[in-house]
Amino acid sequence: MNQRRKLKVVALVCERSVDFKDKLDNAHYMSECPDVNVIQLPCSGQIQPAMIEAALKGGADGIITTGCRIGDCHYREGNKFLRARILGERQPKLRASVDRKRLQAYWLSALEYHRFKEMAGEFVEFLSGYQPETPQKPEKKAPSKAAE
Amino acid sequence: MSQATTNVYAGIIAQFQRLTLFIERILNSTFSQKYNPFYYHGALPNFFLWVLFISGLLLFAYYNPTLEGAYPSLEYMTKQIPSGALFRALHRYAADGMMIFVLLHFFRVWFTDRYREYRILPWITGVILITVLYLAGLTGYMLIWDSESVALTYMTVNFLNSIPGIGSSLASLLIGGDIVTDYTLTRYLFLHLGIPASMLFLLWWHYLRITRPVTNAPLVLNLMLFGGLLVACGLWPVGIGEAPNLATPSASIEVDWLYMLPHGMLANGASPFLAWVVLLGIPVAMLLLPYLQKKQFRGQFAQVVNENCTGCSLCYHDCPYEAIEMMDRDDDTRFKRIAVVDPGRCANCGLCVGACAFKAIEIPRMNTERVFKEIQVALGSAQS
Ligand code: HEM
Ligand code: SF4
Ligand code: SF4
Repeated sequence: MNQRRKLKVVALVCERSVDFKDKLDNAHYMSECPDVNVIQLPCSGQIQPAMIEAALKGGADGIITTGCRIGDCHYREGNKFLRARILGERQPKLRASVDRKRLQAYWLSALEYHRFKEMAGEFVEFLSGYQPETPQKPEKKAPSKAAE
Repeated sequence: MSQATTNVYAGIIAQFQRLTLFIERILNSTFSQKYNPFYYHGALPNFFLWVLFISGLLLFAYYNPTLEGAYPSLEYMTKQIPSGALFRALHRYAADGMMIFVLLHFFRVWFTDRYREYRILPWITGVILITVLYLAGLTGYMLIWDSESVALTYMTVNFLNSIPGIGSSLASLLIGGDIVTDYTLTRYLFLHLGIPASMLFLLWWHYLRITRPVTNAPLVLNLMLFGGLLVACGLWPVGIGEAPNLATPSASIEVDWLYMLPHGMLANGASPFLAWVVLLGIPVAMLLLPYLQKKQFRGQFAQVVNENCTGCSLCYHDCPYEAIEMMDRDDDTRFKRIAVVDPGRCANCGLCVGACAFKAIEIPRMNTERVFKEIQVALGSAQS
């Protein structure tokens, strides 16, 4: 874990699912998993496929989306819709060209921070050894300096 | 409502929310997320409703709503007709199951803060539904017309009579006159069929602002509940008490607390006044609950960016609270329709934002611009 380069993983998380209270630094990086930057939204149903695409295009190594448990969306259907978009079953669909290996979707309640940390840690581990089959983008930037 | 009270109340609800999530986590590990009964809190009462309608139809076929005929018809049903006793038991325990699962539904929507503002219509109709369900169950017990049932009738009449002024008129409205006659049972039957029928209308109203309400649980869950009902029927068969004697009704009643809360209180020595306070106080308190908390997004609602909207109606399909309407437009664009948001129904949830591929709808509390900006900041390609 110690020698690999720092990754850029963006987590788009519903504010009602995993509770990140006291778990993030000022720049929204997870204290216990500094490769992951957390952006919180009102509902996972607000996540547009374009946001995922933009993050990958912008140089993210991986994307995590997180909503509440399927069945427990506060707004009834948001997480189901996001899941369907990622699976390409609902308009607007996530592009088929998006490398699904670099995207993970979790469905966790506000009590399941530990599960998030575990899965995110494994994902980061996986990404650090992962070579996309067709590397589309040449620029790989140096680790961001935002994580103090 | 003072600020402090509001905060204390919100804090309590937050704790109950954690408790609910905790129970759900346990259920997720036993049932799996897909079959977690808590995730079908609105659908499960519907299952019992169907069992009640079907089993009730069979009981109705044999019931004779007259003073002389009611008890023998029930006795015949229970003792002579094959599985007649089973259907009576099913009907009784499905009624109990329905009340239990409606209460579960009620506590869940309350504890998880799904009960106010844009959800006020399902909340208010829900309070009416639970009241109506209670009356349906109570009239069911009065129809049996054995000696306990007669005692229940007398108790109810006295309870109504205890209201100053209108009490006696209400009592004669219930039993169809000043004394118990054949009309009493006709009236009970009318109430016991009419009240549940009104629930169908109330349910339509309950679902009016909910897009695609989940009204059916998965088959496995329904089968499990049905299995549970059959076990209850086997363990506690439903019999019939002694023949009714209008002069000397049963001295005590067996209290089903789910449907006889005031009766149970009266039987245990409470004053009618106290029983009325409880009976009326519960629904009134339920109606007031949503106003104990501050509004979350006062005056905010989703905003359509008119220039960008193509009229594709994806947001309209995804909005979970029927807050978006597609309207005709006749401005200079080539698009024929435009999304329009109803402020009173909007949850500020952002599902419409996730559905829109044209940056044409936004919720004020989290602009898409800001999400894209934060992504860039996270990737180090922009300053925060
Ligand atoms: C006859 C009994 C009832 C039945 C069959 C019933 C059924 C349902 C169903 C199917 C839904 C839709 C759930 C969804 O798809 O998200 C729902 C929503 C709701 N119910 Fe009931 N309900 C009943 C009684 C009540 C009661 C007693 C209350 C509370 C006083 C209540 C309050 C609500 C609320 C606030 C919602 C909206 C929840 C949300 O938007 O997430 N209901 N109900
Ligand atoms: S999804 Fe966007 S473009 Fe389509 S109707 Fe709604 S606001 Fe307009
Ligand atoms: S934010 Fe959008 S999807 Fe959510 S209730 Fe309002 S209009 Fe409907």
